[in-house]
Amino acid sequence: MIPSKNFKLYVSILGALAIISTVRLWTDQDALTSSSTIGTALRLTVPILLAGMAGLWAERCGVLNIGIEGMMIFGTWFGAWGAWQFGPWVGLLFAILGGMFGGLVHAVATVRFNIDQVISGVVINLFAFFGVRYLSELVYVGKPGGGISQSPPQKWALPKFNLPILSGGEIAGWKSSDFLGWLESQRWFILGDLGGIGRGLTHSISWATVIAVIVVPVSAWVLWRTRFGLRLRSSGESPVAAESLGVKVNHLRYFGLLISGGLAGLAGGTLSIVASSYYRQGQTAGRGFIGLATMIFGNWRPSGILTGALLFGYAEGIKLVASDSITALFLFIAAIAIVFFVLSIVRRKRSQILVTLVVFILSAVAYRTVSTVPESLTQSLPYVVTLIVLATANQRLRPPAMAGVPFRPGEPH
Amino acid sequence: MQAGSKKSSQTLSAGSANVVELANISKSFPGVIANRDISLQVARATIHAIVGENGAGKSTLMKILYGLHQPDSGTILVNGVLTQFKSPSEAMDAGIGMVHQHFMLADNLTVLENIILGSEPTKFGVLSLGDARKHVKDLATSIGVEIDLDLPISELGVGQRQRVEILKVLFRGAEILVLDEPTAVLVPQEVDELFANLRKLVANGTTILFISHKLDEVLAISDAITVIRQGSTVATVSPKSVDRLKLAELMVGSDLPSHGKRATKVGEKVQLAARNLTVIAKDRKNPIQDISFEVFESEIVGIAGVDGNGQFELCEALLGLVASQGTIEIGGSDVSDLSIRERLDQGLAYIPFDRHREGLMLAASLWENALLGHEASLSRGPMIDLISAKNSCREIIERFGVMTPNELVPAFVLSGGNQQKLVVGRNLATAPKVLIAAHPTRGIDVGAQAAVWEEIRRSRDAGMSVLLVSADLEEVLGLSDRILVMFDGEISAEIDPKSATPQILGKYMTGTQ
Repeated sequence: MIPSKNFKLYVSILGALAIISTVRLWTDQDALTSSSTIGTALRLTVPILLAGMAGLWAERCGVLNIGIEGMMIFGTWFGAWGAWQFGPWVGLLFAILGGMFGGLVHAVATVRFNIDQVISGVVINLFAFFGVRYLSELVYVGKPGGGISQSPPQKWALPKFNLPILSGGEIAGWKSSDFLGWLESQRWFILGDLGGIGRGLTHSISWATVIAVIVVPVSAWVLWRTRFGLRLRSSGESPVAAESLGVKVNHLRYFGLLISGGLAGLAGGTLSIVASSYYRQGQTAGRGFIGLATMIFGNWRPSGILTGALLFGYAEGIKLVASDSITALFLFIAAIAIVFFVLSIVRRKRSQILVTLVVFILSAVAYRTVSTVPESLTQSLPYVVTLIVLATANQRLRPPAMAGVPFRPGEPH
Repeated sequence: MQAGSKKSSQTLSAGSANVVELANISKSFPGVIANRDISLQVARATIHAIVGENGAGKSTLMKILYGLHQPDSGTILVNGVLTQFKSPSEAMDAGIGMVHQHFMLADNLTVLENIILGSEPTKFGVLSLGDARKHVKDLATSIGVEIDLDLPISELGVGQRQRVEILKVLFRGAEILVLDEPTAVLVPQEVDELFANLRKLVANGTTILFISHKLDEVLAISDAITVIRQGSTVATVSPKSVDRLKLAELMVGSDLPSHGKRATKVGEKVQLAARNLTVIAKDRKNPIQDISFEVFESEIVGIAGVDGNGQFELCEALLGLVASQGTIEIGGSDVSDLSIRERLDQGLAYIPFDRHREGLMLAASLWENALLGHEASLSRGPMIDLISAKNSCREIIERFGVMTPNELVPAFVLSGGNQQKLVVGRNLATAPKVLIAAHPTRGIDVGAQAAVWEEIRRSRDAGMSVLLVSADLEEVLGLSDRILVMFDGEISAEIDPKSATPQILGKYMTGTQ
């Protein structure tokens, strides 16, 4: 009997858990799967996840969106302004609107005027950077705590919650048990890790995180289960075919880019409203581009993007919470590499054998010899992780066929 | 228009004899009269073929019927109702569906998604995939098509993609199906399957308009044939009352140029030789394996074979576009280690498979296209000699009969046949020693085909060696002095064209021998 896809998935998740648990106990680095690491990772995942989803919506409708970074910048600025003026919820709304403005600019430039999509995106990035600086000069300079490169701090924060029973959430004023926290503190093999991970995902959760996570299944459902979604995807796969069937490709590209911009704006908003309490210049720090990388990593699929974003988030989170633990991660990578090494020998995939062996040796050597990792190297960890995964995953990438190709309706093809 | 289509479906039950009646249709584009006073009656549940040379106006006429163009004058009656379609969707509402020559499919979407796209069954905007699946399955069964609805299009073969196109049109409730050159992309077996499907469709009451210039197929499948020449209807005939030659005469307006036996003799000197030529592929079977052959001076060697059996790789290897093992000789000297440029300088010329992808810059002017590959001889220092370049283009236009107002228009304004004449002319103008001609007449009309053949023959008589790669057996048989059959990356047979028949060739081409 051939094991089902789900069965394989569960086995690999359990395997990875067992490996990381072993590594944790061996190296005594509880931070690897502690609830604080996972919680931080989750918070850091959110903007990347939203940026990746923004990329997904744009490319699925057939337009490259290099401008996600810029749309996120609009999101951070307008979000912070809204939150400063009217509170965090309105702030998030303004963040979305700010991003949508960027998306609309991109749509008008690329769809209406057929400007090269890459150029338009780059221009939006530059325009956003200097545009919000100008706005800051108009609005923030002279206000207490504000200046040309940052906004005054917001008075209110977005509420957070704990899941009742599992992570000590309150039910009508009564503080329920913190089961996962207790499990984590026992440090048992696998169970301790499950406790840490579970508590990290359910403890002190911002509503913005919930919204971001819900975006994933909702996007998947809309794109693959509704008429709007099918037509939008067809605009990215074959606009000529879509047009011949009466689909209004350019309308859909406008919608796709507005949604893309809105999600990018929300991503920016989570940075300036949730992750901090004020707007600061350079707050996005290239996360728009990391979002695009997760979109590629995730093979232009929502679930893949979620996975990729979690990976980035974890790599960044562990760097923040417990940079000492990074050496332990080398051991983890080595262990994963050896598993794939054995698998690739069984499957007789020569290139994989070589890659996994090299990864194994490098990470094993790194674990034995490196005691502290310089800050600049830890910062590149997310990218290293992506490179390794892209090299070994051996997945078949399937980008939308016509993403990036301008479409002029009614022309001979 | 909605009301019109409703009404027409009522008259349908009344059973008017003609489903489509076009009367006195005229349409002109700037500088070209595409259709002139065309009239056409199509009877219900028949296959009505429309034949004509490329550029004769068949496609324009069908686009008018399908709402892609509006006629300058004339009337269209569908099911007896006067109509004027402003867009394809209006035509679709009236039950007219078109299967384009170039498939309009999204490769990454599934078969089902492609079929329902644009007229998706939904509940509150949510796709009713179950209903759609059942409906499509029923349609497929009714015309004898078996297809996995969940496969992405990219995993289907050409024949199956065409079935998807047909299902797509039927799904929209089309009762009148326009097929634009449906067999151009199919191998003989697939043509038979398609014809079987079409016959079932007609039996179910569908009317089919079949555009083609393959006369044998038209004679085999259709109930009536309308011949169009230079934008006007020449005649509507019954396939029983005409034969191939008669039909071709109607189409071209004169007798077909006969193939004629050659007056000159094959030379003694080997001009092109491949010895143990292999192209290595990493993750699949080598596309060509251990191929050896020689082409003598003043000889045409035909490479026959179903597309995808290594012909493409063979041409690319000979030209130097892909790396290969073994030796290649041009004019007696080993060119295996030479670059493409150096090989061309040795007297090699190449008519590529796909004139749009490899042969022309569609948006560039004719003289710029004619210049390609000859920049060195038409330059003064680093500057292009505009006067000579344009003169040389004019010479090609004149000598090869390219129909164009002048040499300054962009290549995309020409019809396929004229584009091909330009490509052929560009390669023959410099009198190369060796010509590799890949599908030199694919998708062009009989007149242009005869002209290209004539030029190749003339150059051959002057001593040029030709490696002719073609899937068109008539072409291979008519031109070649020797025929090599390629199957699965190897040469499976060498055949004397005098004794060969399409049947014999077909066997070797499909590997049944």
